[in-house]
Amino acid sequence: MIAQALVSGLLIGFVFALIAAGLTLIFGVMEIVNFAHGEFLMLSMYLSYFLHAGLGWDPIAALPVNAIALFALGVIVYYALIRRVLRAPMLAQVFATFGLGVFLQNAAQFLWRPDFRTLGNTWVTGRIALAGVYVSGPQLAAAGGAVVTTAGLWWLLSRTEIGRALLATAEDRQAASLMGINPDRMFALAWGLGAACVGVAGALLSTFYYVFPQVGGVFALIAFVAVALGGFGSVVGAFAGGVLIGVVESLAGVFIAPAVKNVFVFAIYLVVVLLRPRGLFGKL
Amino acid sequence: MKIGIAAAVVVAVLLYPLVLRGPYPQHLMILVLLNALLGTAWNILGGFAGQISLGQATFFGAGAYTSTLLFQHAGVSPWVGLVAGAALAAALALAIGYPCFRLSGHYFAIATIAIGEIAGIAVTNWEFAGGAVGLFLPVEGEGMAAFKFGDKLGYYYVVAAFLALSVALAAWLRRGRAGYYWRAIREDQAAARSVGVPALRYKQLAIAISAALTAMAGTFYAQYLLFIDPPSVLPLSLSIQICLVAVLGGAGTLVGPLLGAAVLVPLSAATSVALGGSGRSLDLVVYGALIMVIAVFEPSGLVGIARRLRSRISTQR
Amino acid sequence: MSRRLALTLAVLAVSLVSSRAPAAPPAEVVIGAVYPLSGNLAKVGNDIKDAIELAAELVNDDVDVPVPLGKGKGLPNLGGAKVRVVFADHQSSPEKGLSEAERLISQERVVAVMGSYNSNVTATASQAAERLKTPFLNADSTSPLLTSRGFRWFFRTTPTDDEFSENFFKFLGEMKKRGKTIKNVALFYENTLFGTDVSKFEKKYAQQYGYPIVADVAYDAKSTNLNAEIQRLKAASPDVLLQASYTNDAILSTKTMKELDFRPQAILAMDAGHVSSEYVPSLGKDAESVLSREVWALGLGAKKPIVRQVNELFRKKTQAARGQPIDMDGTSARAFVGMLVLADAINRAGSTDAEKIRAALESTDLPGDSLIMPWRGVKFDPKTHQNTLGSGILVQIQDGKYVVVYPFDLAAAEVRWPLATWGK
Repeated sequence: MIAQALVSGLLIGFVFALIAAGLTLIFGVMEIVNFAHGEFLMLSMYLSYFLHAGLGWDPIAALPVNAIALFALGVIVYYALIRRVLRAPMLAQVFATFGLGVFLQNAAQFLWRPDFRTLGNTWVTGRIALAGVYVSGPQLAAAGGAVVTTAGLWWLLSRTEIGRALLATAEDRQAASLMGINPDRMFALAWGLGAACVGVAGALLSTFYYVFPQVGGVFALIAFVAVALGGFGSVVGAFAGGVLIGVVESLAGVFIAPAVKNVFVFAIYLVVVLLRPRGLFGKL
Repeated sequence: MKIGIAAAVVVAVLLYPLVLRGPYPQHLMILVLLNALLGTAWNILGGFAGQISLGQATFFGAGAYTSTLLFQHAGVSPWVGLVAGAALAAALALAIGYPCFRLSGHYFAIATIAIGEIAGIAVTNWEFAGGAVGLFLPVEGEGMAAFKFGDKLGYYYVVAAFLALSVALAAWLRRGRAGYYWRAIREDQAAARSVGVPALRYKQLAIAISAALTAMAGTFYAQYLLFIDPPSVLPLSLSIQICLVAVLGGAGTLVGPLLGAAVLVPLSAATSVALGGSGRSLDLVVYGALIMVIAVFEPSGLVGIARRLRSRISTQR
Repeated sequence: MSRRLALTLAVLAVSLVSSRAPAAPPAEVVIGAVYPLSGNLAKVGNDIKDAIELAAELVNDDVDVPVPLGKGKGLPNLGGAKVRVVFADHQSSPEKGLSEAERLISQERVVAVMGSYNSNVTATASQAAERLKTPFLNADSTSPLLTSRGFRWFFRTTPTDDEFSENFFKFLGEMKKRGKTIKNVALFYENTLFGTDVSKFEKKYAQQYGYPIVADVAYDAKSTNLNAEIQRLKAASPDVLLQASYTNDAILSTKTMKELDFRPQAILAMDAGHVSSEYVPSLGKDAESVLSREVWALGLGAKKPIVRQVNELFRKKTQAARGQPIDMDGTSARAFVGMLVLADAINRAGSTDAEKIRAALESTDLPGDSLIMPWRGVKFDPKTHQNTLGSGILVQIQDGKYVVVYPFDLAAAEVRWPLATWGK
């Protein structure tokens, strides 16, 4: 039973990690928390749904479409909204993105109705049984996709020119612009990449989770905690945070009491930040 | 001129329910006053001392549950319950503040979310406190002593008095040493510490007062609706709404939360009346868009518009 | 200055609202309806809205359907006055439920209010009606608490969780008589008002009827996954699972049961999510053979042609309003009937006077055959105002359709027992 709980927790934890990765990237580069992150996820899931229902495209095959579409959305949101509140107080930034979230969620309900939608059969279905541990196909695929994407993001940030430019901007905007890096474009890139991550997560989730206008909220709160747990701005931290939350939630649910499993998620956050005030991997 | 305006506002608030006698306009104004009270309480911690709390619902719930449970199990007057709830919330706030004030910025804000969520889950699973079913208060037995009124007027003036008390307290604190220290902590905590500001003690003062006032509002809410359950008094959305009122009005100023409540509450009511019955949530689409517009064009809050209006009037003179 | 400006704005907003309210012309009777039209329950709220509007149309237009007031135009005793329904959205918030009910009563001058699905919102909204002395008809909140408050103006047509829970155990008794071995049960429920309330009654009756409870698993309906919960249930391996879930979690839990290969002999669900119009389309074959208590089923049409007739109209209505035809379900059917019960009372009152409508509701006596419900009729208890003629049924998902299987005299098919193993 421990093995099953661990495996289930790890699988969902990887997906939390990917959602959190996009959030932490945006924060790391420009210190803005995107409160509309859950709604980005929701939009990506709807995109998968419509591609599947309308054109018969499998969400896994259409993954790049989701990534590109959400990348574009992130860039548009940056230029249309975020750029205007760059110098505003932190709270105004929070509410700009919060307002965006309320707007998107309800616009989705207005356009697509509150109905729950599921994709039906996709490429990945069924389940695998291994030594008494059951693993569902879609969840396994989602976890795999999440790991690959997060690793890709990490590689992009730490091993490429563009990643170094992003990190340099995060470190010191002025110094970066002196070095010929255009911070404005880097910010737009961060929003694009952050949204693209959640776009991938949305496509993966849509293979086993239902789509409805409020779907983002459930995952966004977990992602916030994962990001803070790992340390704002750290991709590795977000990954660790997401996985830790998935496992803690699963173990607490199986061995303690399901109704209060989230208490342990929040408690582990409190314990970690009280010991390390900037999270597991945050810059001290 | 400032005093003149303040006096005019006070008179207008006092006369309002006598002019508009229907229960709905009165209810709307009670909500405005209640939100102004909550915003003012948040502002002491978040605006003055710069510690962003997204867990005010914890204190609101503490107030609502303390007075209601005391009444149900021991027949204690809700007025006594109000004081007990405020005291409990303040104690809770100190217990939260002591470890959590080591955290800064977003880490503190998310810690308050975490505590709020834990409180919500805990009460939901706590049989004695009604659990998920919630607690009903009996409708009968009206009167000032019972903190229960047959019509809205009684509630209206009670919440107006609470608000007046909180605004006066906030004004007094802001003008004194506490206000001075809070400003220093908000601008640069390290610098404030280095010149001898006892940062932790004054942050603790801010959170305790903020919590006590929020708990008073919670007791009021319980007496007003006569029904409480975790989703109505302990949700994250309430914490966010409280913060929204203060921030959109203008964090750190005295009138900000009042302005925020006076604009946001009627605005959300008006959009929901005009568009909400359609079942397509167009009202919330508009509401979200307006929040974005305010954040973009008035990042320091509605208070900015008011200031500009005033300076235009005074330059014309 | 600013404060005054804001205040003027507020007053303006309010007066704008009040100027919208027409002085009720005698040609029209306005009824208020407070439901969750946005947020997590928006789907259910919109189903209810369409059902209530359909009922109002049947009253207003001359339609040949044998429901109360179906024939003839409008309310005959009020000179053919038309019924108009004003909807308000409570967003699942008890505070909004209270204020919207107040607004409808005082601003929109509604003569009666219907609402509000969520039991906790019904609690506060009906309290507003009680204070403002306006009849409140509840068709869809099953918390037994609501009719124990001694309210004068509150009426409820639907049976409560207490009756439904007991019905489960009566059914299990019948199945035992038919030779099934049922030694124990497990409880699985979402931990807000609905689920916990249900679980209390299930515990009470489990003890009374002698079924040990081998697992008692409450879960948070907002969970992103239910793996841990299902693992616990699987470890307890109960004979019968009694489940109470809303839509999201009902779908998610069924998927998770399949993934983790958990299969009791039978699943008895407490309607809500398991009978929502999403459940079967989302799960396809995996929904097969789940049993649910119901207040209604399309399958009743086999014995009651009126059910099919009304459902056809509902499909047309939802096709026009939302672009896709939707079948009625237990919730929309109850809302439909609730509206007709109210219209019938107003018609018998022959007036829009609140006290007269209240008296007419108290003397309501509608026979079962005029309703699309399996009930023996609608007649309110003189003290609690709970409908005394209501009763529940059990349906089973058979080949993608909800089929009535209990009580046996209304049944359209035999119970399929036990559940097939997954994938078969």
